[in-house]
Amino acid sequence: MASVVLSEAEKVYIMHGVQEDLRVDGRSCEDYRCAEVETDVVSNTSGSARVKLGHTDILVGVKAEMGTPKLDKPNEGSLEFFVDCSANATPEFEGRGGEELGTEIANTLYRIFNNESSIDLKLLCINPREHCWVLYVDVLLLECGGNLFDAISLAVKAALFNTRIPKVRVLEDEGGREIELSDDPFDCIRLNVDNVPCIVTLSKIGHRHIVDATLQEEACSLASLLISVTSRGALTCMKKMGRGSLDPESIFEMMETGKRVGKLLHSSLQTVLDEEENLGTARKKVGFLG
Amino acid sequence: MPLDHRRVPGPEESQSPLLFVPSSAQDGEAPPAQEASRDPTALQPLFARVGLLSQAKGSAYVELDGGTKVLCAVAGPREAAGGGGGGGGEPRGRLVCEFRRAPFSGRGARSRPGEREPELSLALQEALEPAVRLARYPRAQLEVSALVLQDGGSALAAALCAAGLALADAGVELYDLVAACALCRPPSGGEWLLQPREAEERAAAARLTVALLPSLNQVAGLLGSGQGGAPDSWAQALRLALDGCQRLYPLLRQSLLRAAKRAATAEPSEEEDAAEAPAATTGT
Repeated sequence: MASVVLSEAEKVYIMHGVQEDLRVDGRSCEDYRCAEVETDVVSNTSGSARVKLGHTDILVGVKAEMGTPKLDKPNEGSLEFFVDCSANATPEFEGRGGEELGTEIANTLYRIFNNESSIDLKLLCINPREHCWVLYVDVLLLECGGNLFDAISLAVKAALFNTRIPKVRVLEDEGGREIELSDDPFDCIRLNVDNVPCIVTLSKIGHRHIVDATLQEEACSLASLLISVTSRGALTCMKKMGRGSLDPESIFEMMETGKRVGKLLHSSLQTVLDEEENLGTARKKVGFLG
Repeated sequence: MPLDHRRVPGPEESQSPLLFVPSSAQDGEAPPAQEASRDPTALQPLFARVGLLSQAKGSAYVELDGGTKVLCAVAGPREAAGGGGGGGGEPRGRLVCEFRRAPFSGRGARSRPGEREPELSLALQEALEPAVRLARYPRAQLEVSALVLQDGGSALAAALCAAGLALADAGVELYDLVAACALCRPPSGGEWLLQPREAEERAAAARLTVALLPSLNQVAGLLGSGQGGAPDSWAQALRLALDGCQRLYPLLRQSLLRAAKRAATAEPSEEEDAAEAPAATTGT
């Protein structure tokens, strides 16, 4: 992962700040950086979103393609995740350098979506056992400024909210079935993203834990806990990251903090998404010029 | 004739036979009476043996009553390969972990041979790193490879236990052993079950694996996901797992002691005293 090298003195400075609940950029321990969310930024996708969280910049595109359902789940569509670590973010990602991080993030995304409640996959089924929609969720890291996982999960949720899948009808003909695409481009399925979880990464620094760590803060933290929280405050995934260990008591505290922060994150993301939605065609697209 | 291992030697279109089983029969598959009678805090009987591979620096084998069999070997420390030509001069050693399953380990169709599981390999590495004193091995690399011979549930937990034992057997400097437990929550809701068997794990709504450094009481690894639950439910699971790990710890220590005794008694008997050999075998 992209990382910075800090001297001992810098680390001590950051740690003392965290101890006093005042971080280098003026936030307190449970504050997120200012996030910018914009949906529908790439026109060739079924849904897309761009999230900028401090210096972390994520672009997510969702493409719906027709495929066959998996054998063990004949009446469900599926989600496929792919994370591309662009060399724009760090020169380390050049060539195959970003592959390891990419698979790690993709596996984590599969893990948090690996339960029945997060997205209704039955909605994506067209013809049981024969045709279904496969949503390819492609994540592009444009800039790494710490706290990748949280930013990516926000962007994925926003992109899924924005996704519009064309409606198709199955016509029973003699000698087989035919799939007919609706003539109206606005006739489409929207996904219900109420239960899509967001990731909250809590990094342990000294005796306290912080959310939304910057690269500098990540360099000071030995271990962090990644949890995914739904908008109702239910935990769907839990994972320890980093090379340090954690005290059981602090894990319990972190889970509570994560739940609290996660709920807040969901509600503010949802208001932003709804606002943007309500603007309709009057919305001014900022794109990459902002 | 050369075989194409990547192609499935079957018909192009196939469907799972389970689709054609009436749903009532599927439900009857898991005997509910047995599930209800199981004590959720019960650990499966565990068998551990240390130092059984002669070629590896350290090795361990862990078997659970449910049928999980894991073999783990440690190689190194050796000079770290690559790493930017030593330009950075890493002050800490590197731990390289690998988690593989034997092609015949799982239920159902055979998996592709030699496929490593990146997620579980990473989980293994992140759980073992806090236990190893990597600062004592500058610019060196330790290789840990865990091989699941048979998966009868709780495979990652068994692999973590085996890896901890194998590291200790290799004489690597450790802060602590690693004890690990798996848990799962049945789909009907209710309590978390400690160390699930294969059938329980397959049916579970949520799964969790916890690795603990028992004498320091530090959580080294945590990996779990599934149907959402309140943080309290997960906290309860974590407590249950920590308790389970503490109960596993004496067993793991005992197997290390046994291996050390075996090694101590075996050495003199090989060289001179043949009369001591029977004593050694009864001792094991």
